[in-house]
Amino acid sequence: MSSPLAWALRRATGRIAAVLGPDVAGTGALFATAVVSGLGQSVAVVVQAVLLATIIERALEHGATASAMVPELVGLGIAVLARGAFGWTLEWAANRTATRAGAEARRRLLTHLVGLGPSWLAGERAGELALSATRGTDSIGLYVGRYLPQLLVAALVPIGILAWVGATDWISLLILLALLAAVPPAMVFFGRRASEATSRQWRRLASLSAHLLELVQGLPTLRAFGRVPYGRREVAEASEGLRRSTLRTLRVAFLSALALELLAGLGTGLVAMVLGLRLLGGQASLYVALAVLLVSPEVFLPLRRASAEFHAAAEGRDAGERIATTLDAPAIGAGGRSGVAPAINANRLALDALSIVFEGRDGPALGPLTLELRPGERVALVGPSGSGKSTALHAIMGLVAPSTGRIMVGPVDLASVDLDAWRRQIAWVPQRPHLFSGTIRDNLLLGDPGAADRHLEGAIGTAGLDAVLARLPRGLDTDLGEGGAGLSAGERQRVAIARAVLHGGALVLLDEVGAHLDPAARGELTERLGSWLEGRSVLVATHHLELVGGLHDVVVLGGAPPAGPGGVSS
Amino acid sequence: MSGPSGRVTLGRLIALSPPPWRRLGLAVALGAGASAATIALLAGSGALVDKAAARPGIGAIAGLLAVVEVIAILRAPLRYAERLSAHDAGFVALARWRVWLFDRLEPLSPAPLRTLRSGDVARRAIADVDALQDLYLRGLSPLVQAVVVAALAVTVVGVLVPGSAAVLGIALGIALVGAPAIAWWSRPTDADRAAAGTLAAEVVDLVHGAPELVAFGRAGEHLGRVERSAGVLARAGRRRARANGAIGVLVALCAGVAVTLVLVLALDALRAHRLEPIMLAVLPFTALGAFEVVAPLGAAALGAAEVVAAGRRLLAIADLPAAVQDPAEPVAAPTGPLEVRLEGATLRYERDRVPAFEDLDLALSPGSSTALVGPSGAGKSSVVHALLRFWPLESGAASMGRVAIEDMAQSDVRSLVASVDQDAHLFAGTIRENVVLGRPDATDAEIDRALDAAQLGPWVAGLPEGLATEVGERGALLSGGQRQRIALARALLAGRPVVVLDEPTAGLDAEMADRVVLGILGASAGRAVLVISHRDQDVARLDAVLEMSAGRILRRRSDAPQPAPGG
Repeated sequence: MSSPLAWALRRATGRIAAVLGPDVAGTGALFATAVVSGLGQSVAVVVQAVLLATIIERALEHGATASAMVPELVGLGIAVLARGAFGWTLEWAANRTATRAGAEARRRLLTHLVGLGPSWLAGERAGELALSATRGTDSIGLYVGRYLPQLLVAALVPIGILAWVGATDWISLLILLALLAAVPPAMVFFGRRASEATSRQWRRLASLSAHLLELVQGLPTLRAFGRVPYGRREVAEASEGLRRSTLRTLRVAFLSALALELLAGLGTGLVAMVLGLRLLGGQASLYVALAVLLVSPEVFLPLRRASAEFHAAAEGRDAGERIATTLDAPAIGAGGRSGVAPAINANRLALDALSIVFEGRDGPALGPLTLELRPGERVALVGPSGSGKSTALHAIMGLVAPSTGRIMVGPVDLASVDLDAWRRQIAWVPQRPHLFSGTIRDNLLLGDPGAADRHLEGAIGTAGLDAVLARLPRGLDTDLGEGGAGLSAGERQRVAIARAVLHGGALVLLDEVGAHLDPAARGELTERLGSWLEGRSVLVATHHLELVGGLHDVVVLGGAPPAGPGGVSS
Repeated sequence: MSGPSGRVTLGRLIALSPPPWRRLGLAVALGAGASAATIALLAGSGALVDKAAARPGIGAIAGLLAVVEVIAILRAPLRYAERLSAHDAGFVALARWRVWLFDRLEPLSPAPLRTLRSGDVARRAIADVDALQDLYLRGLSPLVQAVVVAALAVTVVGVLVPGSAAVLGIALGIALVGAPAIAWWSRPTDADRAAAGTLAAEVVDLVHGAPELVAFGRAGEHLGRVERSAGVLARAGRRRARANGAIGVLVALCAGVAVTLVLVLALDALRAHRLEPIMLAVLPFTALGAFEVVAPLGAAALGAAEVVAAGRRLLAIADLPAAVQDPAEPVAAPTGPLEVRLEGATLRYERDRVPAFEDLDLALSPGSSTALVGPSGAGKSSVVHALLRFWPLESGAASMGRVAIEDMAQSDVRSLVASVDQDAHLFAGTIRENVVLGRPDATDAEIDRALDAAQLGPWVAGLPEGLATEVGERGALLSGGQRQRIALARALLAGRPVVVLDEPTAGLDAEMADRVVLGILGASAGRAVLVISHRDQDVARLDAVLEMSAGRILRRRSDAPQPAPGG
């Protein structure tokens, strides 16, 4: 590929190249196939035009019969067919390229994302990332597989065809060049107006769609207050509003297509007129006139196709931008690779002035925090919300790297420990557990895929999940659907407790367990957890000190009484 | 594929929202005009140069020249107008489907939609309705255009060389039927759609649950699962690409044969002097152009397949039986203060589930207040459902003012009850619009009293826009406590003889909760009030307390004389 072309491609792809890396797993050949197929289609059109012109000229000016022109006629049929065949290979290669590029982008994004840690994924970012990983990666695929080849073809075909027209009839070349010169300014002018109109209307469209949705979601309230007719009227009016504002936007958005089509039509019309007048004066041959006439629309066709893909392309570029930004975020390391980690039940766990700062947020998310947990000890972390309790537990899980300070396991820095082996020793109950789509059983087995039914039932008992399961007609096989719909916050946490029990581990990390329960239920949970916690090291972030009995230490975080080694012993 | 056939589904969808004929006809006419202009431009130019080549003098070609130029300029505006009017037709049809959906979901909300189905039925149903607009926009309109243009092209070549009409007609016919058929045959299966849903769910899971997957050492496994789902989808994509390619080849094959044969026939006719020489180019050019309009039919068929799939899902929801039917001859609703009674009432959502409540006795008399307490899942909210007649009783009796509620029209039952549900819905609009929902003709003084009772008076008065303050979609611009108290003010303003409040003080601080309870009692003089609550302090101020557990009344306490004087 010549260097100006490579430069143009880099410009056109934006940060998609950063997402896909220098070599998109073997798509080079496929990409070339797509481009060659696109070029082949145009060559077929030229051949078709030349043959048609030849046949008609020989018939009209030399009285040739069909039987005298069999090769030309057969060639004509083949040229028409070849155009379709190139369409097939184009479709095949474009689809393959799009699928591979999309899959590669998704694989890279998801693999990286797994290592970003809970604080990075918190909040609205998760929803946006999920969209990037589905629609976003698809649109990157379409960009690489469909738009880019189309763009190359749109750049190359007019040049080739114009060269051919120039060699055949230079006056027609001048006409076409003049019209082509009008394309970029027209595209810039109308394209800008279109994108302005689109973004102006976008808010309005979104709010009208949201209004439609809330009217349907609010139906029980409308029924309760006898206002269904009002709702129906609003639905009709919001639909009418959507129709009018969308049409207003489309009137502008379709203008660039109108301009391109107008130029293409004028191209054929003007070429025909000038050729007709020159034929009258005997300054052109019938063959040249017919061939040029047939070919001239092909100058504009690839441009029209590329312009039709423009919006999809813009989406792909945006997705590339967002995903590249995510890929730039530093992932936490995998720690050492030894495959072993110091045993928790034989080593002291110590946070040594641990402090964590998240980029783009004011002040540290945690610390500096110093605490010590000897094998079998129980320590509580207390403090107002936002004081970093969860972050401290994340750091011990190796999900967040310390900004300053260290986490020591016996004599070893956690940063150099094989984190997978380390995490196998920890039973973690997060504050807001995520329930995965699938059954409750699937979610529990996340803790230990090979668990026997006996262990499963034990874990369910320990977490007090049995009462919840009894209420559900399908029990353990209840499908949780998206995001664990149907279970309350307290019930979801019981699933997470049972999962952690099943996973087991010498160190137990409990994050705000029981926060959603009333005092009686919390007391019951304390009782159930009691024997399981026996003999394990426990670190609990909580507002309710009574949740875990026999605390060796209480460490207060955030502003309140000075926390430090020793803390407030109980 | 399950469910009714595509034809039945399409038939029902079209019956529900008949095509907006005028707009659709306009779109088809404009589109056919634009396609015909494309063909005419080429064919006319061909005739023009053929004629000019005989050097007849400028006068002889002037007319043809003018026609060609007019067509060259007209084509683009025709296409532009077609696209706009086709979208317009789609949106008009869409508006009718939306109202239909709203009407169908009405008797199903909240039951059985919320109680039986997981996930957000409303959101999915609205997305499905949006997909229906393609039926006319991308389905019917291109199909009719293609048939019209094909017929025109066949007529033109038939007039010039009669024999060629048959050749072109057959070839176009094969392409017209074959292209949509191939596309339809390769349409996404239910399994493909399920795979798309699975992939999306797995990705969402991975993003939201990444820390836990890492913590439990399952990240690699989950990534593998995503790859496998993506693989299934990729296979479906390959099948679609193959079909698209096949359509292209089929159309090209038909075009190649037709153009060649038409040209051969035209050459013979020319030789036999049955064809004017200037028309020689018109024949192959017309044939070539006619196949251009066939190519989009594959996409049209795929669009129709998506419409059928979306329509089938929608009809399945719309055909659900409503939980409650109105009686054939409803009894008039009682007026004035009235007593509410449940006697031996049992409510069950699904046959194989335990009852939400069982053998329940409850009496609410005018001017008295009753608390309903108990752990979550005890059946308290189901009592509200029963009183609002959102769900029928399985057995037992429910009456208001001595009239059985199943003998009244549902809307009449609800006109007796003012309720605050646990998820009482605020609509985008002003505070005022939301508060007067139950009584659109309320005066400012009445609104102020209701806001005061809900302890919102000073807050609203302090807002720069006051009652005209926008609350946002679902009240998103307000805090949870403010939303709840606006819903409360709405219920109190409605002025109904029965007031049912589900957790009116949840999420409020103790002092505010106390004031809200006093406000409720003050504003409900002479009414029968039922309050569901967790707070002991709330309960202490009410006349009677019922404690529920697992669908039954555990304990009753009534330490106040009944009926208590309001306030």
